[in-house]
Amino acid sequence: MEILQYTVRKLISGIPLVLGVTLISFLLMVYFGPDKTYELLGKNPTAQEIAEVRTQLGYDQPFLVRYVDYLRELVTLEFGNSDSTGEDVASLLARTIPISLALTGPGFVLGNLLGVLLALFAAFYRSTWVDKAIMASAVVGMSISFLIVIIAFQIIFASSYGLGWFPVRGWSVHSFGDYLSYVAVPTMAMVFVALGYNTRFYRSVLVEEMTRDHVRTARAFGVPPAKLFYKNILKNSMIPIITRVVFSIPLVIISGSLLIESYFGIPGVGKITYDAIISGDQPVLKAVVGLTAILFVLAQLLTDILYRAVDPRISLK
Amino acid sequence: MSAVAIPAVRRESLWSKAAWKLARDRTGMIALAFVLLYMLVAVGVTAGWWAADWSEVRGGKWEAMSAAHWFGTNLIGQDIFARAVYSTKTAFEVGLVVAVLATVIGAALGAVAGFFNGSWIDEVLLWLMGVLDSIPFYLFVAAIVFAMQDNPYAMHIAMISTFWTSVGRLIRGEVIKLRGLEYVEAAHAISVPEFVIIIRHILPNTTHILLVQATIMFVSAIKSEVILSFLGLGVKDGMSWGLMIAESSQEVMAGFFNNFLAASVLMFGLVMAFNMFSDALQDALDPRKVG
Amino acid sequence: MQADTQPLLSVRDLVIEFTTENGVVRAADGISFDVHENETLGIVGESGCGKTVTGLSILGLIPSPPGRVAGGSIRFMGRELVGLPDSEMRNIRGRDISMIFQEPMTALNPVFTVGNQMTDVLRRHRGLTRRQARDAAIEMLAKVGIPVPAKRIDEYPHQLSGGMRQRVMIAMALSCDPKLLIADEPTTALDVTTQAQVLEQIAGLQSEFKMAVVLITHDLGIVAETCRRAIVMYCGRIVENAAIERLFEAPRHPYAKGLLESIPRLRRERLDELPIIPGRVPNLLHLPPGCRFAARCPRADALCREQSPALVPAGPHGDFIACHHPHPGQQAEPAA
Ligand SMILES: Nc1ncnc2c1ncn2[C@@H]1O[C@H](COP(=O)(O)OP(=O)(O)OP(=O)(O)O)[C@@H](O)[C@H]1O
Ligand code: SF4
Ligand SMILES: [Mg+2]
Repeated sequence: MEILQYTVRKLISGIPLVLGVTLISFLLMVYFGPDKTYELLGKNPTAQEIAEVRTQLGYDQPFLVRYVDYLRELVTLEFGNSDSTGEDVASLLARTIPISLALTGPGFVLGNLLGVLLALFAAFYRSTWVDKAIMASAVVGMSISFLIVIIAFQIIFASSYGLGWFPVRGWSVHSFGDYLSYVAVPTMAMVFVALGYNTRFYRSVLVEEMTRDHVRTARAFGVPPAKLFYKNILKNSMIPIITRVVFSIPLVIISGSLLIESYFGIPGVGKITYDAIISGDQPVLKAVVGLTAILFVLAQLLTDILYRAVDPRISLK
Repeated sequence: MSAVAIPAVRRESLWSKAAWKLARDRTGMIALAFVLLYMLVAVGVTAGWWAADWSEVRGGKWEAMSAAHWFGTNLIGQDIFARAVYSTKTAFEVGLVVAVLATVIGAALGAVAGFFNGSWIDEVLLWLMGVLDSIPFYLFVAAIVFAMQDNPYAMHIAMISTFWTSVGRLIRGEVIKLRGLEYVEAAHAISVPEFVIIIRHILPNTTHILLVQATIMFVSAIKSEVILSFLGLGVKDGMSWGLMIAESSQEVMAGFFNNFLAASVLMFGLVMAFNMFSDALQDALDPRKVG
Repeated sequence: MQADTQPLLSVRDLVIEFTTENGVVRAADGISFDVHENETLGIVGESGCGKTVTGLSILGLIPSPPGRVAGGSIRFMGRELVGLPDSEMRNIRGRDISMIFQEPMTALNPVFTVGNQMTDVLRRHRGLTRRQARDAAIEMLAKVGIPVPAKRIDEYPHQLSGGMRQRVMIAMALSCDPKLLIADEPTTALDVTTQAQVLEQIAGLQSEFKMAVVLITHDLGIVAETCRRAIVMYCGRIVENAAIERLFEAPRHPYAKGLLESIPRLRRERLDELPIIPGRVPNLLHLPPGCRFAARCPRADALCREQSPALVPAGPHGDFIACHHPHPGQQAEPAA
């Protein structure tokens, strides 16, 4: 019951954020965005025709009415039809979001797990050559642009100039085997790009916890390394880790997949967002922006609840 | 009054110690040398000393490396080396403009938020930071590019408007911490105006954070510029490593890698050097860093 | 040294080094002392003189990096601890040798209950079941004077006061019946009344459990009340090691004498809060070639400034001193 009340309160306090995000993006994309009137009209339109189209597009309404309309769309998930394909935006999203999740999921999980693993090695062998080698590689990894990695991996693993193991681009998935072959190169690219950042982050978090007094106390009582790692180090570093992981989920789904999907021609949210950007397809853009804002509010709620689960000092206020 | 003078001393010793430490950091100094070398290249491009002919057609299609064309030529016969060198200027320009302005804006708004911590001003600024952080970056840039009708600085403005928030949060936190310190309270007690306290006593004590943040944003700006230009949302007129890579994405499938390699290697060198320099700077400026 | 009984703990020529940005620091340099069964040995000295690192080294807990035991030997019940593999050291830690730390506020794991942390130790070292361990923990908490221990055991450290947390630490340290307890300023962070209670408890438990205690402290008053013998450290070295009566009545090392002369106004106060001897402690990075105390010592001469005095036996009662010109002892020393 307490947790339910808390959830409701948190969701309500997320409203200003959603309003802010939608307002700014509405202003930029719709109000100052491209005027679509003439695209929909034939040559030499009459004043009558122009006025009709403008009414149809809602341009004749005052700003506030149009903005409130947008909010209503967001609440009811009825965003209308895509300007370019005519498909219903809600069903477009329902079709593409699962693809993006399937595409970015493995890379996201692996990138974090490998990051923790490397960070553990580095932290455990702190100041030795193992640590230095891992951290130097991390800086090298951080310095290579995602774009370059994608192209290089495509050449190396998928093209006829390299190993040619995987399909060059596209996403015709009919079986689990297909899935693996299409997801392989994007996943490797994502892991490669995230690994440097993740390793550095996890190492600094782990080292910070490893040097705490209570870790020394536990060692003084003979707690073995595995238990020490779990009970004293990992459990105490969960707050920064949760924050980072949860808040990167909305970004990975939208921004992370945008480049990969448009480069590999994979029909996920990133790809339709990119196409919508290029063609100025406002119903799609409005839907994506609005939903991202809602995802952020949910991420915030999720972190707050998880914080409480891992740290007894934090209570639901 | 003497209480107000204490931080100046502490600050000086922090800076001289940091400079000394940085000078002893061999990888940091090598990285700095590389950064300066790139900077020289960029200055040379701006001054017209070299790569002025980057857009001229001076050879055939996809020529191999030669004395005349160090990295060969592209599809329409332009010199790849000249284009890659010219792009250094673009990268530096974007990096500098974005890093400096985002740092200044972040410092100013962060300081204001921190100083008015607890009041509606702080609430509004926090809300603004949260909002800007929640808009997907590429969408935000695209929206600004559209709204500004292809203004060449649309990309810069988009990056600055999203990058400043991280500086803003850090400075806000630091100001809240510093505000409680004795010498600031002493200044309050002798009724120095608040903005004077911020500018004279608080902001100078955050410069080490700002410096490090500026180097981090410089790197992010360069990396974003390349991806945005590749996506067609960034540099429109002029040359950029991102545009070269966009060109090359067709070429590599035909087995011509020069364009891709030239842009990638030059970009990697700059980003790597800057990352290492930024790390060295952080090491030197972080007083509590151990092991 | 009492030649008849083998010491429980015997430290010889211990050297502890830390690698810092500005060079290698010797936080302990040539430390030698013995601890016998049932004995309480005090270690006193100003802040930074190396008391904590000496205590930590016995349990093999010097933070590494940046620190390491660079030389010497630590024998516990005849067994060499320096260089002992961590897996074997773990069987000694918390069971044969326990340690209580200086900082009660941060020494416990904040995300587990007191009971969870205590039963972990009991189950590992005494092989108890969950149920038995819990009962034993409650019993220990009651012994150290925690009211309603059956309730407190399920609380998290942040729900307890500093004094309570230190009692929990003590309960945990004594729960496996150790032969040696290293108490590193167990009361410094507490208020005066709590200090007295906690100290009484340690003393009471010591006689109940028949263990030896190494009591590290700033507070000479505490040493006088609780210890049979005390070591005075200065700048990483032992300068004097003497039985309490002799140390307090007729300290022989000029530094020890300086410390003790200020005792009336020093009771219950931290040594570093009152500069009692004029001058400053030298920086461990730039030590003088001779005696480390020479710059502040009224008896210093050319020899002192050139040659560092070694720690040598003084008198027939197992005392040691490191000084070229010590004060005369209580009575004329019989020729050795
Ligand atoms: N982690 C460390 N890194 C570097 N040097 C250290 C470290 N820990 C201790 N030292 C060095 O060892 C010296 C002794 O430290 P120690 O903690 O043993 O002092 P102490 O006598 O316990 O002082 P206090 O009374 O303040 O607790 C310090 O002066 C410091 O130079
Ligand atoms: S050796 Fe000399 S300087 Fe050192 S304490 Fe003894 S008399 Fe003083
Ligand atoms: Mg200590």
